[in-house]
Amino acid sequence: MTNVIGIGLLLLYMCILVAIGVYGARVSLKTREDYFLAGRGLGSVAVFMALFASNITAFTIIGHAGFSYETGYGAYGYVIGWSIFITPFTYYLVGYRSWLLGKKYGFATQPQVFGGIFNSKLISLLFLVLLLYYTLPYLVVSIIGGGLAFTTVTEGMVPYWVSAMVLIGISLIYTLPAGLRGTVWTDVFQGTLFLVVAAFLLSAVARALGGFSEITADIVESNPAMLQRTLSEELAPINWFSYSFINSIAVVVFPQIYTRILAARSSANLKQVSLYYPIALAVIFGVSTLLGVWGSVAIPGLSGKEADNIVPLLIHQFLTPTWMVLGLVVVLAIVKSSIDSQLLSVAHLVTDDFLPRFKRINSQQAVLWGRLLLVVFAAVAYYIALIRPAAILSIAGFAFSGFSVMLPVMIGALYWPRATAQGACAALVLPAITLHLWYLGLLPEWTTLGFMPVFPSFVLAVITLIVVSYLTPVPSPEQREKTFGLFGQVFK
Amino acid sequence: MNFKVRLGMVILIVLIMFILHNSFWLWDLDARVPLLFGFMPFAYSYYIGYTILAVLAMRLIIGLAWPDPPDHLFEESGQNKTTKSRH
Repeated sequence: MTNVIGIGLLLLYMCILVAIGVYGARVSLKTREDYFLAGRGLGSVAVFMALFASNITAFTIIGHAGFSYETGYGAYGYVIGWSIFITPFTYYLVGYRSWLLGKKYGFATQPQVFGGIFNSKLISLLFLVLLLYYTLPYLVVSIIGGGLAFTTVTEGMVPYWVSAMVLIGISLIYTLPAGLRGTVWTDVFQGTLFLVVAAFLLSAVARALGGFSEITADIVESNPAMLQRTLSEELAPINWFSYSFINSIAVVVFPQIYTRILAARSSANLKQVSLYYPIALAVIFGVSTLLGVWGSVAIPGLSGKEADNIVPLLIHQFLTPTWMVLGLVVVLAIVKSSIDSQLLSVAHLVTDDFLPRFKRINSQQAVLWGRLLLVVFAAVAYYIALIRPAAILSIAGFAFSGFSVMLPVMIGALYWPRATAQGACAALVLPAITLHLWYLGLLPEWTTLGFMPVFPSFVLAVITLIVVSYLTPVPSPEQREKTFGLFGQVFK
Repeated sequence: MNFKVRLGMVILIVLIMFILHNSFWLWDLDARVPLLFGFMPFAYSYYIGYTILAVLAMRLIIGLAWPDPPDHLFEESGQNKTTKSRH
């Protein structure tokens, strides 16, 4: 990778990120509300790009392309089909009511919102513990995926330990000084860059392989099963149905996504985001699917983890050095946008929901603590990404499921006045336990009745919430009025 | 129209979209439907159509069940922010 223009572009990209961080630090107020929530003043474009960029991870461009490489065109519908509609719908279902509560009562995180609804410190603590427990491994896996991709595109010139450090270091450059505002501005910049470069990347690979129609004709001839979902074991209907309960409905539970919803300026902004979000998801995953499937004819014979490298390999094999750098920038942008938001959300949770249990922290001190914790968590995540313990990878593997099975409690809290704190506690704890028992092989597989463990755990969460709520005392009228009195003024 | 009725219509829309996503009975068409634009097989192009439908569904949901908050709702928020009930 010796192209001068390419290296110049990479340096320009990094300079822009630094400039964003510096400017963001200057305009930001040194308050908790501004550092972690950008003053609850994000407009439509900012919220859209912030949600989109935080939603898209290394999995999108690496894991999904690798999955498409092996599974075919059906991977598109399997992985993102349901998400195209239900993810933006959850921004309404859970996001809008949470936003109303946040705006009215000053809540800034899920522990605060749901602890506030139930008037329960235990609920708040459970949310905090579970969110940190699932987010940290997910963060580590993002760093690993991004680091490997960076190393692949540079043909090993940049070793993995440096790649991972670069990813985290760049994320900290603008997140540390500017908080959420810094991550949002970079999301807007990187999101725009990504969409433009992805379009060029797709057409460049297509041109190199002979054109869109030629590639499909090659696939039809060499591996027609790639076009037919009925021929794929992986895409069996029971898996397809179960998968609907993993990534798509988990997204709104991610603390980095939830916080960005709370940071929206108005209801109108959230509406616009929900309206156009399907298109953004369809485009990015559509591109990733095509690259994966086309990769199966362009660079055949890869399997498993090798297939996950198909996009960096395509970039390396079919693009000029300048486009290789742009492709690298795109990979960096995608991976980094989720790393910075996860880092900030973890620091936010600990600053706002853990530390105040032990000491009083004013608004300015919260910013200092947030910055300190950003560095601490970045260092811890980097170290774990270097050693890659199997346990972390296992937890990350079912982190999405873990987030998904928290959703029934969130929906129940926002829509069902009869839901009790005891019901919510049980419905948070029991499904988390069953998920672990199934994923760690401590419960026999047949007990899932053929579904992925997330589905029976999700059903268990719903049943537990309802049954335990009915067996426990009705919430006080004052407690219900705080939430449902507010909603009653809006939803007439 | 009563809000609960509108919310019920929203749930119906969600169910329809869920069924359309889990439309296994259409998978036999993967091998029979011509390529869209000469290169998109049905397993892929179906979700182009699904995306358009998703946007329309969200537009309908927003119209049915997403009212903006009344202007006075957050008038006391400034006070509440400093005395918020946190756990």
